[in-house]
Amino acid sequence: MNTETFAENAKAALQDAQLRDALRNATTLFGKKRREAAASLSNWEELRSQARAIKDEVLLHLDRYLETFVRNAEKRGAKIHWARDAAEANAIITRLTTERGARNVVKSKSMTTEEIHLNAALERAGMQVVETDLGEYIIQLADETPSHIIAPAIHKTKRQIAELFTTELGMAPTDDVAQLTSTARATLRERFATADVGISGVNFGIVETGTIVIVENEGNIRLTTSLPRTHIAVMGIEKLLPRFDDLDVFLKLLPRSGTGQALSTYQSFITGTKRNASDEGPEELHIIVLDNGRSRMLAHPVTRQSLACIRCGACLNSCPVYQQIGGHAYGSVYPGPIGSVITPQLIGMQKAAQLPYASSLCGACREVCPVKIDIPQLLLHLRSEISEKQPSGRRKERLLFKLWAAIMTRPWLYEKTASAARLFQRWLKPPVKAWTSGRDLRPIEAESFREQWRRTR
Amino acid sequence: MNNGDARAEIMRSIRTHLAMSAPYDGPEKPINTNPSKSPVQTAVPSVVELFKQNLEAVDGHCLVVYNEAELSEAVNRIVNGRRVATSDAPPATGDLFKYDVGITSAQAGIAETGTLVLDSSVERNRLVSLVPPVHIAILNASRIYRTLSDALTTLQSGEEVSPAITFITGPSRTADIELTLAIGVHGPQELYVIINQNN
Repeated sequence: MNTETFAENAKAALQDAQLRDALRNATTLFGKKRREAAASLSNWEELRSQARAIKDEVLLHLDRYLETFVRNAEKRGAKIHWARDAAEANAIITRLTTERGARNVVKSKSMTTEEIHLNAALERAGMQVVETDLGEYIIQLADETPSHIIAPAIHKTKRQIAELFTTELGMAPTDDVAQLTSTARATLRERFATADVGISGVNFGIVETGTIVIVENEGNIRLTTSLPRTHIAVMGIEKLLPRFDDLDVFLKLLPRSGTGQALSTYQSFITGTKRNASDEGPEELHIIVLDNGRSRMLAHPVTRQSLACIRCGACLNSCPVYQQIGGHAYGSVYPGPIGSVITPQLIGMQKAAQLPYASSLCGACREVCPVKIDIPQLLLHLRSEISEKQPSGRRKERLLFKLWAAIMTRPWLYEKTASAARLFQRWLKPPVKAWTSGRDLRPIEAESFREQWRRTR
Repeated sequence: MNNGDARAEIMRSIRTHLAMSAPYDGPEKPINTNPSKSPVQTAVPSVVELFKQNLEAVDGHCLVVYNEAELSEAVNRIVNGRRVATSDAPPATGDLFKYDVGITSAQAGIAETGTLVLDSSVERNRLVSLVPPVHIAILNASRIYRTLSDALTTLQSGEEVSPAITFITGPSRTADIELTLAIGVHGPQELYVIINQNN
């Protein structure tokens, strides 16, 4: 599946009854838990505004904040590597792992490493890479991609997972979730024990202290960032928060928006390398600072909003389109409303031209977004960019809207057109089959408001 | 590969694209120097009580003891003869996987979420709190802060923070298989926090 075949992907997903059951359960549950968690704080709206103000501030001065973050992280012993794009990031990480003679790499869940397709790159270099988040591990074994930002294997049933574990891990058949989980735990512990390098993402980079913060529930991120000698963290340039205290706002918003928890089980705050050689923890910390199309989004206030995203997944759960088709149909790493706006900007408008149209513009995503990203505004912005860039492809649409505008801005023409349409509607059906195949087209009333007004006043 | 080029190019790209995003909204603001604290509800229970409530809400166990004798009795009851690793004198990391119970202290607690704070400047072996299936944490009542914000503030002295700080809220959990909650996926299945009221 890819982004260019979105319409076909979506149709296929709609026929998948099991997928739709799973999606309904997941999005309903996450939605309900998010609402309850948000309601537990009396200043939720204030927190959202604050979070957005902090993100806006960072983005408007991103050059300075990035310089300062890097300086502070280096001061504490972290090594910084700059990657303009996915290929460069993968080359750096491959070089770092190869130079250390690494064979076994453990990874914790990170959308950014999915975005750059890091696993494939490392495997090409001969590394054994294992995803250690349970959901990510399942889809890695099944050779699939995540279908939800925070619940990557949401599309799979426990029976499918049991079959997978039986074939791949030699587990005795069971569909007991606790048994499945402990099988994964045991298998992954062996991998942790022998891992040479641990690779993680970053939720927040704190500028004033040079700290990276990673949030999780399972404990695999703690293992990934503590056991191997080398820790490599991949961070998009937009992940920064100016001050340590800003975490108060973001640690309240992120877990509540994602899973409805007051706080995720574990937060790791990692600042450089350990102080004494005998202390626990990696000897080296490498932070890969990744652009990969992000800096381009700074060029316009509307697109700049995309960089405020904290990857909570709330917009997916709230979206009537995602709720029906799930993450795979989008054909990209980032699904749902946020994916529809980020993907075209990351991989190019041509390759993902259908995604900004994968929305009814209902605004549910905007209402739940913890950093108040106006996703409908972004979708419209991208749509207009697409139609300007491909005038030929959308000639009919442009012509129709020009005609519409001409009629709507001239009251006399509007009246004439309306009465003509009323007269001919019995014989002429407008060419809107896509609309009428699922709905009725209401007939035009016998008398318009203006006509009634003139008659009765 | 010349990484200096990448750095210069990314910074240039940031500056160029920012310059295009008119209107630029003024000089650098001193950012939000005081993120407002979440208002605390009135008639709240004591921090110890609140901590206990919130920890139990996320499937953790909480015991309150009043002297050293009670503390060691509580620990012994939980350990119940199983193999114990302590963070003061931890086994080699590879061996840690063979232990049943890990005992650590916690440098702070956060009452509003039932969270433990482990700070590497004191707690140099945090894996003891993660690898064995049972984690016992000993927390002095005087180190429990009411809010997340209060705790965050104390973690920083000037612009310095410890190399590794870990927040722990309940036992390890996942809902990755059919949204069914499973406790103890990579970390402990059981978390006991013993609050020492003695100090």
